[in-house]
Amino acid sequence: MSTPLLELQDVTKRFGGVVAVNGVSFDVGEGELVGLIGPNGAGKTTLLNCLSRMYRLDAGSIRFGGVDIAKLGRHEVARLGMGRTFQVVRPFRSMTARENVAIGALFGSERARLAPAEAFTVADEVIDLVGLGGRAKLLVDELTVPDRRRLEVARALATRPRLLLLDEVMAGLNPSEVAEELEVVKRINASGIAILVIEHVMQVIVGICPRVVVLHFGRVLLEGDPATVLGDPRVVEAYLGERYARRLQEARGG
Amino acid sequence: MRRRVLGVVAVAAVALFALLPLLSTDQARSAGLPQILDRSQLRELTTISMFVVLTSAWNIIGGLAGYPSFGNVVFFGLGAYATAVLTDPEHGHLPLVVGLLASPLVPAVAAVVIGFPLLRLRGHYFSIATLGISIAFGEVINNLDVLGGATGLFPPIIRNDLLFYYLMFFAAALTVAVTWWITRSRLGYGLVAIRENEEAAAVLGVDTTRYKIIAFVIAAVLTGLAGGIFAQWNSFINRENVFPVDYSVQMILMAVIGGAGSITGPVVGAVGLEALIQLLAGGSGVYTQILLGALLAVTVIFLPRGVIDFVVGRSRLTLAHFRRSLRETSV
Amino acid sequence: MSLLAQQLVLAVLLGGVYVAVAVGFSLVWGILNIINLSHGAFIVVGAYITWTLFGRFGIDPFLSLPLDALALFVIGYALQRGLINRVIRAPVFFTLLLTFGVNLAIVNLLLAVFTSDFRSVTPSYAGSGLTLGPVVVPYIRLAAFVIAFVVAGLLSLLLARTRVGAAIQAVASDRDAAQLVGIDLRHTYALTYGIGAACAGVAGGLLSTVQAISPTAGDPYTLQAFVIVVLGGLGSVTATVVGGLLFGFIEVFGQAAPGLGAGYANAIAFAVLVVVLVVRPQGLLGR
Repeated sequence: MSTPLLELQDVTKRFGGVVAVNGVSFDVGEGELVGLIGPNGAGKTTLLNCLSRMYRLDAGSIRFGGVDIAKLGRHEVARLGMGRTFQVVRPFRSMTARENVAIGALFGSERARLAPAEAFTVADEVIDLVGLGGRAKLLVDELTVPDRRRLEVARALATRPRLLLLDEVMAGLNPSEVAEELEVVKRINASGIAILVIEHVMQVIVGICPRVVVLHFGRVLLEGDPATVLGDPRVVEAYLGERYARRLQEARGG
Repeated sequence: MRRRVLGVVAVAAVALFALLPLLSTDQARSAGLPQILDRSQLRELTTISMFVVLTSAWNIIGGLAGYPSFGNVVFFGLGAYATAVLTDPEHGHLPLVVGLLASPLVPAVAAVVIGFPLLRLRGHYFSIATLGISIAFGEVINNLDVLGGATGLFPPIIRNDLLFYYLMFFAAALTVAVTWWITRSRLGYGLVAIRENEEAAAVLGVDTTRYKIIAFVIAAVLTGLAGGIFAQWNSFINRENVFPVDYSVQMILMAVIGGAGSITGPVVGAVGLEALIQLLAGGSGVYTQILLGALLAVTVIFLPRGVIDFVVGRSRLTLAHFRRSLRETSV
Repeated sequence: MSLLAQQLVLAVLLGGVYVAVAVGFSLVWGILNIINLSHGAFIVVGAYITWTLFGRFGIDPFLSLPLDALALFVIGYALQRGLINRVIRAPVFFTLLLTFGVNLAIVNLLLAVFTSDFRSVTPSYAGSGLTLGPVVVPYIRLAAFVIAFVVAGLLSLLLARTRVGAAIQAVASDRDAAQLVGIDLRHTYALTYGIGAACAGVAGGLLSTVQAISPTAGDPYTLQAFVIVVLGGLGSVTATVVGGLLFGFIEVFGQAAPGLGAGYANAIAFAVLVVVLVVRPQGLLGR
């Protein structure tokens, strides 16, 4: 087997005394579709921020396409082919949807430097792909909440990534919108782009991810195919335990 | 339609600025042409052009990149001192051209040196740190005897108001052209992305540090050029006239009133406001300043996107708009 | 040796004045996220009130301090309620500009009323001081130092122990939640800004006794307040006190350094500012 696209080895991130991500190791292969799940506060977003160099690692290493990314800038990681979305969307508000996506096309790839006009052509294609067609000329503020999430995906996709990190892009969507979004994810993956889908709600990705990594208290709790993972008592406990804790808090009147 | 009318107005205004000063010359008078402009009015036009440079240059870092520098006057001052040191008989005693060519260089180097630490700061911190830097630079230069100390420097007097008008007009045209080029290039798209959300810009591949420094350097170069021209024109510089904090604030005020982030907004703001300042008490009266303060408050509250936005943008100057603008930002 | 001791005493006393200068600025910044560029103008207004009351009616400068506080509180409350509340949710840049506009208007109004002449308040006990061996402690500076700490202490108590203080803290930590539990946002913002202005007024009254004032003297105070807050760290009265005292030392000993002098006061201050911002942006005691 060739080297995987993304290799995490003992990735550790601390905030003060809190270890948010603790010795996490796993791989994502070229073109693979992997789910990353875990209860709230498991460290999913922190891990993602480590991947896209928003945070500096305290220990461990991350290799992307065989390159150690520890010393790279955020934009360099992006240009290597790692695209990401933000859980709380971060659009460029003064721009239209199309311009937002064009930024990704303009700057996302070192190899193919596009002129603004070419970038807009790419943007139009991507906008159709994620289901934003017809709303390209709208300002961000005029878009609906699901459309803003689609815009996040489109922007990242326009960078022509080899790996796409999706951070809870389905949160707050209704069932039919989730179904649509899942189709988009599958379509992107089918075009050869590897995807790491981060989700809080397990059921959402069970259907589409052949492999799932479960994070709990900053550690990898389990890794495997969805059926096995969901049946595992430790996973059930991780989620139920959280719910129990919440009920306890409510009982205390917090 | 509205846009076309404005386009015609803009072209006419530029033509007027380019040609009218010729009427102030002695040659024009001896040829029997009407004497529309006198010397002092020509000097006022030069000052207006100077503020177009300063404001449009500020707009590149403050309006496009979203890093509102409160200390851009430092580049004006450094440009002025660079030129003056080279042409001053007691120092370089070199020709005017050499002095002017140096005026963008020193500020450019300063922008790189200042930019690396300061452009990592955001919001308030960046604004006040730049303000501090500009005050500190002025103070240090004021204390350096090599640079004339508090007395200042005296570049040789060149009595040619028309020459300096056209130099400043050229600098203004250059600044606007550069801004126009930026907004159509990758640089411009990158800067606006940085302004709107720096982290998102970075993960989309924008080299944010490099772009911010480039924007800062471009602003510094243009501002420095204006400083160099001013030094020669005024033939006397010291801290008071080339490092005034007021200039930093006026650039911002003019850009915001006209509409920061656009190409024409800062130009309209600079021309309009500087003309207003000149009209009222020659620009130094206490009541002018009070009026400016009030104008600033009104603009910030009612027209946060500037005057231009009302004329060509979607918003219209109506009561309904005022109410909406207030609702959006108030508690 | 005695020179060093004298310098130390002066540094500490000067630090006290800086605490007064910065404490209101820090409150407004920390709670409202406003860099109040009219803070220096408020200080100068306080100074002129004290100067007028002393010159016209012979009222002792220290007795007029409560009046400074009251007048500035009213001005501050009205400004926040009438103007600044309207842009409080806009990008920070706009509040910065708005307060600058207010500053410009106030300074020039003062120029119109009082002219640009320098004024000073000199009560009969000015110039006398406590002699402790080789060191002289001027009474006025000592009093200013004590009052600065009283103001900081009162502000601390207000924030920690009263209903108003609780409301102010709540608004700072979560605006929406505060509104949900029934806190009147507009009033609380205005109150906070008013209190910040009142502190500036007291600082102005104190300053009028230790240095000459003019309408344009305010801007350096604003900048010093900013440096002090950055130095100490945003978010608590204690941090401001530490920042203020430290700033006093930096100023006194920085200017005494070889090759430097009083002409470099601002340059030193801002060199410190930039170093702190780059090395430890959260300040010495910041979170």
